[in-house]
Amino acid sequence: MTEQPQISNAKKFTKEVLKGFVIANPVFVLVLGLCPALAVTISIDNALGMSAGVIFVLLGSNIIISLIRKITPQLVRIPIFIVVIATFVTILSLVFEAYFPPLYESLGIYLSLIVVNCIILGRAEAFASKNTVMLSIADAIGIGLGFTAAMLIVSLIREILGTGKLTVFGYTLFSIPVLSEYPLTFFIMPPGAFLVLGLLLALFRWLGVLKNE
Amino acid sequence: MDNNIKNNKNNKDIKNSKSANNKAKFAEKILQNRFYPLVFLTIIVFISVSMVMAVNNITEPVIIAQRDAEIISQAKVIFPDMDDYVPRDEYYEIFSGGEVIGYAFIATGQGYGGEITILVGLNTDFTIKGITIIENTETPGLGTKITESSFTGQFAGLSSGDVSLTKEGGEIDAITGATISSKAVTDAVQKEMEVTIPVIKGDLE
Repeated sequence: MTEQPQISNAKKFTKEVLKGFVIANPVFVLVLGLCPALAVTISIDNALGMSAGVIFVLLGSNIIISLIRKITPQLVRIPIFIVVIATFVTILSLVFEAYFPPLYESLGIYLSLIVVNCIILGRAEAFASKNTVMLSIADAIGIGLGFTAAMLIVSLIREILGTGKLTVFGYTLFSIPVLSEYPLTFFIMPPGAFLVLGLLLALFRWLGVLKNE
Repeated sequence: MDNNIKNNKNNKDIKNSKSANNKAKFAEKILQNRFYPLVFLTIIVFISVSMVMAVNNITEPVIIAQRDAEIISQAKVIFPDMDDYVPRDEYYEIFSGGEVIGYAFIATGQGYGGEITILVGLNTDFTIKGITIIENTETPGLGTKITESSFTGQFAGLSSGDVSLTKEGGEIDAITGATISSKAVTDAVQKEMEVTIPVIKGDLE
């Protein structure tokens, strides 16, 4: 009797996690949160820092909004979501400024802009305000990891092509002989971000079409 | 009793059905109240602000310590001999071998592309020992030349009266093509010197 619902709960949990990661990938499928995906994917470090921030805020806001979903008045739900999200973002940016100053410097304004990141408000409105805390946590993890994966793919391509080498937290993992001397700096610049993201979107759309056929 | 039994068919909770019903009605009443959204939002904002303040209390000293450390590392460029410092309210006292060898303070000015932050080092006779640009968002290649020693070097040895551009009767040559950035730095340094030197003198007495 007691094991039955637990199994189905666990299944539901993993299903929600996988959903955000693959079927509803926030960047490539839902096409949300493009501002950070374009702006901070200059390096792997930035992409990881940003993703960690988004996961923290998404997890926090999803939990709180799901907890108060039954007592939240419909009339003012959006301001309440924004206040909850802004609280977590402010805490995050204070912590980053205090303990990870180089990351804080390089993320700059995009850290505070998580407040208006449509992924987070979108999940609050579409999921957390209608589902249990457990499922909201699963949703946050799934969407958060999906966002991380997208950020990593974009920044990997941009950093390797744009600088000719891959540096993670100060350690150079590898450098490509000719490319590192004559890097395609175009990819580090904003137009490069649009090109890479556009091609990736096309690729994922194409893969989706192939799968459906 | 009959009523209760009827209710029990719908409600599995036998004992508390009545009080639960009352509670639900009471909760419903609150949720329907037209001031409820206002009160709820106020409570949420209050909780939010207290949480942010709590975190700020923890992180603020760390952030200030970091800023101090950064300023000190910049001050070492101006005062190579320094081995200790004491932060005051508006400036830093720079020590070497237990003796005050100078003072350092921050000046900020509005440049062409945003705020410019300058660290000013003073000798004990209140002439400039040197300045360094800590932060600037000036135009790369033009305004950013304010960070080069060919510009900042001109400030060494000047007293506050001489810190202005040559065309305004001062001693500082503006950078060609970056007059606004040059003027921003000189004005900021002069203004801050005029404010801070009396403060230092006041503390000495």
